[in-house]
Amino acid sequence: MNIIEMKGISKKFGNTVALDNVDFSLREKEILSLMGENGAGKTTMMNILYGLYKADTGDIYYKGKPTRIHRPIDAIDLRICMVHQHFMLVPALTITENVISGAEPKRGRVFIDYKSARQRVSEIIASLDSNLNPDAKVSTLSVAAQQQVEIIKALYRQVDVLILDEPTAVLTPTEVMGLFKVLRALRDKGMSIVIITHKLKETLSIADRITVLRDGHIIDDAVDPKGTTIHELSQMMVGRQIRIGERRPTGISGSKSFEVINLNVVEHGITKVDHVNFSIMNGEILGIAGIEGNGQTEILEAITGLNTSSSVKLKLNGEELDCETSTLLRAGIGHIPEDRLAMGVLLDQSVKNNLILGYHRERSICRNGFFRQKALEAFATRGVEKYGIKTAGIDQPIKHLSGGNQQKVVVARNFSQNLEVLIAAHPTRGVDVGAIEFIHKQILDFRDQGKAVLLVSADLDEVRALSDRILILYEGSIVHECRPEEITAIQMGLMMTGMSPSDVLSHKVGKN
Amino acid sequence: MIHWKESSYKQLLREGSNKIKVPFIAFLLALVCGAVTIIISGYSPVEAYRAIIVGSLTTTRGFVLSLAQATPIMFTGLAFGIAYRVRLINLGSEGQLYIGAMVSALIGAHVSFLPGFSHVLVAMIAGAVAGGLVGLLISWLKIAFGAHEVITSLMLNELIILFTSYLSIGPAKAENSPISQTDMILDSARLVKMVPRSQLTVALLVVIAIAVILQLLLSKTALGYEMKAVGNNLLAAKVGGIHVKKVYHFTFFVSGAMAGLAGSSFVLGVFGRFIDHFSNGIGFAGISVAALAGYSPVGVLFSAFVIGILKAGALTLQRTTPVPIEFVSVVQAFIVVFVAAPKMVNSIISSPRELGKIIKRKVVSRG
Amino acid sequence: MDDFNRIIFIMSSTIRMSVPLILVTLSATLQVRSGIMDLGCEGMMIAGAVFGVLGSYLSGSAWVGVLFAVVFGALFSLVHVFLHVTYKVNPTISGMSVNLLASAIAPLLVMLVWGRQTLSDKVPAFNKIDIAAVEKIPMIGKILNEQTIFFYLSLILAFLMWLVLFRTTIGLRLRMVGENPKAANTIGINVVKYKYIGTLLGGALAGLGGAALSIGQLDMFIEGMTAGRGYIAIVINAFGRFHPLGAVVGSLFFGFFDSLQMVFQGVLIPSQILMMMPYFFTLLVVSFGLSRSSSPAGLSKHHDM
Repeated sequence: MNIIEMKGISKKFGNTVALDNVDFSLREKEILSLMGENGAGKTTMMNILYGLYKADTGDIYYKGKPTRIHRPIDAIDLRICMVHQHFMLVPALTITENVISGAEPKRGRVFIDYKSARQRVSEIIASLDSNLNPDAKVSTLSVAAQQQVEIIKALYRQVDVLILDEPTAVLTPTEVMGLFKVLRALRDKGMSIVIITHKLKETLSIADRITVLRDGHIIDDAVDPKGTTIHELSQMMVGRQIRIGERRPTGISGSKSFEVINLNVVEHGITKVDHVNFSIMNGEILGIAGIEGNGQTEILEAITGLNTSSSVKLKLNGEELDCETSTLLRAGIGHIPEDRLAMGVLLDQSVKNNLILGYHRERSICRNGFFRQKALEAFATRGVEKYGIKTAGIDQPIKHLSGGNQQKVVVARNFSQNLEVLIAAHPTRGVDVGAIEFIHKQILDFRDQGKAVLLVSADLDEVRALSDRILILYEGSIVHECRPEEITAIQMGLMMTGMSPSDVLSHKVGKN
Repeated sequence: MIHWKESSYKQLLREGSNKIKVPFIAFLLALVCGAVTIIISGYSPVEAYRAIIVGSLTTTRGFVLSLAQATPIMFTGLAFGIAYRVRLINLGSEGQLYIGAMVSALIGAHVSFLPGFSHVLVAMIAGAVAGGLVGLLISWLKIAFGAHEVITSLMLNELIILFTSYLSIGPAKAENSPISQTDMILDSARLVKMVPRSQLTVALLVVIAIAVILQLLLSKTALGYEMKAVGNNLLAAKVGGIHVKKVYHFTFFVSGAMAGLAGSSFVLGVFGRFIDHFSNGIGFAGISVAALAGYSPVGVLFSAFVIGILKAGALTLQRTTPVPIEFVSVVQAFIVVFVAAPKMVNSIISSPRELGKIIKRKVVSRG
Repeated sequence: MDDFNRIIFIMSSTIRMSVPLILVTLSATLQVRSGIMDLGCEGMMIAGAVFGVLGSYLSGSAWVGVLFAVVFGALFSLVHVFLHVTYKVNPTISGMSVNLLASAIAPLLVMLVWGRQTLSDKVPAFNKIDIAAVEKIPMIGKILNEQTIFFYLSLILAFLMWLVLFRTTIGLRLRMVGENPKAANTIGINVVKYKYIGTLLGGALAGLGGAALSIGQLDMFIEGMTAGRGYIAIVINAFGRFHPLGAVVGSLFFGFFDSLQMVFQGVLIPSQILMMMPYFFTLLVVSFGLSRSSSPAGLSKHHDM
């Protein structure tokens, strides 16, 4: 029996069609994997089910009866709970306070009964085989523990349908296995679970059934995981085969291009980056892999001059550089920042003005502090053409462009200059597949010209596919260095959670 | 492909007309609120507005008075506006104009060795620099200590007003004067009047020139680009190698200098001396002026003129009718309210049915 | 006045002068806890002061004045929350517009009602409360008997605020809204409702603070009588870690300086210079003493952005 049915759901955001007449169903006691690429519509679909969005057309049925879900509280009343990709927790409050907020046990009509709240939360923690302390402040918890709190939040309320949005994005392979164990136990007790994901291997290991979305359409809603392969699934998701693991020959020249020496970052008494040293050769892509929050942001800030409380020595082709942003830019060190919207684009400005950010005082477009309008427009027009930026014109406000096109502007901004080194942080995050391939090609072409690239990414596949050499980062230190063919993804994942490299490699743990 | 191209053009058009449409309608709505206060004071708003417009636009005296009333708020409008473009809030115009006024008054009265033109120039520049230094203090506190410029500028207002008041009552008080004011400035320091027996001085030409310069700065120079970038997205500006501290310091100095000039123009042009508590909200009026102008420097000239018409008219009205002059500050306050919320303005001017829908939605969401 | 009496005088006037500040700082605390920046406090206080006098004047009863003050304080705060929450306006602008509105309407009102711009007539106000029971207690008796009802109100309200914020469901949800409105929204809490509640109640508190000035300390409205207390409250609030207890202690601290100024008025230092002290002190605190890192993480954030 279908516990949830959604029929004919359509949703448009402005001019973008997110969902186009989609049907969805969820059975009782099943784990359903909702798959698709970034932007396929999976999160939108579940947000509609949870009441965070309203569908333009379509109906929702709960246990066969039509229902209206306008706000999260309506979904919660129907025992539907959603755990979001970005955690919805308050660091300053305790686990208990985070869990009970909105459904507090009461003493009298207004006062909170903290004692029974703590007890109930402890019971749930025990049932998950966990040892969290209900009075601990969420700010002290690891990312995996925080996700546990999110699940506890859901279990604290009566749950029949649990929706998890990209639950494994921030987990190591071992932690993923732990999570899946919990999910299977919950399913066996009668719960229906939807996992939104784009991870192929994990889907095959956990799902009872797979539904694939692409560009807002259902491709297939009842794929049997036992009867399909990764390649088949990826074909459904993107319409063609992804070239996983295809790598091009490298041309490492042997001379040191960019050196980072003795990088240390201490903030509020906590060491965020500890004695990090690395150098990139000309004609090499160096990838830094690590779970978010292990120092990547601090490293990036330090080597781009954005963090003044760090200490580091930087060298370019043997010469020491002043660690100051405008100096680094002028020396030819490009930067694709890790958060496009927060750090990469000036949303209220035109495409033209965004194409020159960081290089707006270059003599070719600016003389004596005044812009040379004709040269500037020619430059921008060339950039838009060369990098295939879909825009109505160079004067169009960049906020009207899609995420992928905005990122192309950032990429164009960098490659239009004479760069020696490119620092690319999460260069394809939130970008559609076509743009991903384009950006990867640009980076590889740049390397093939004999330049150096530093790639920081949370996407293990991206790091493994592009890098000539990989550094694994854990809690602010480089714990391992190797070539991609010398290590498996699972081994990388283990080191990323702190297992000592010698243990990982010698025990042959996680070898495929 | 064609689909999104068309709609993008439409979006561009809509945004462009929004920039003029919203302030215009906001102004009309504010006038409506002003009309309410006129009604409460027992007069006809139609009569009042008619008298204002007729007086200011058809008589030379009214026109000149409007320009004269507009000139100081052109300065403070530029002050608030230029800071706002960099997403800085300079609420310290009142204090900055007082310090500019006091410095100009003292130089005007006590420096006797400078011939005519240079005396005025020095006095004005000194007033500007004094205001600019106060602005610089605010930005320094913000950068060095993270002190929120709203609080520091407001506290500095109170401090400067009290201090200059003390000076004008005590150490700098004019001899044999019954009220708190400084000595009269020398003739050589006087700003030339553009129209005899009026309050309109060449300060108007000064502020027009500065407005044009600031407009060009913002649109055509790299520094202006950097200022706008910092105002749009501070983090992205840093990533682009822009020296945010320098931009902040420059902007606050210019902003403070503008306000300082407002004070100087009063002392050197109108009163001839510093009079205790001479400003009745000239600094804060700059907020309304800037908001109405969409924070564009040249736009400030026009919006200040419009408000100057109101002020001049109100001055005349309060002599012959029960309409109190305070109604102008009510209109100014409502301008800020309505300009701040374009969507609200749009929904108010849509059909009443739309308004009903919005109210209903609010009630539902509050349930 | 001998030294002992001088000390008593300083203590009692410290408390007396702090009371309006305590109330408006509590207003700031509540607003910030619900995620709303507290920039409109000055305007809400002005509204409370002038409308409190109006209410007292119209009815002949100071209690009606209090009612007017509370209602109009909340009404003016409605502008702030309406613009900021419903129309996503920059909270500095929406807060300042409240201040501008109140600063414009107050003298207008005085002009319309009493024909003068800056001073109203004297109106029925609150007197000191003489508690016979404590009169005999040496120091405390004298100090307490100098206070009006607003003193007791401010303490009760501070305690109530602590109780509600940290011990009730409403308080937990309000704090959650202030810390992470997106999260609060996803678990079904009505973020908009709680922001409105926090701001409107805050406006009522600030209005009450205004009344404590105009019909508590005095018996009339004088233009500018709030003298920037609404802005000082913002600083005390941050300094007191956005906690009702911090609001009380911080306000007493500032009240101390205020009362010192009264004692030494004109004697050694010119009165203007003395009047500069609280602003100077605030400037120092906000420059060197504050770190905003302890403010609620969701300050000025919306639930859908």
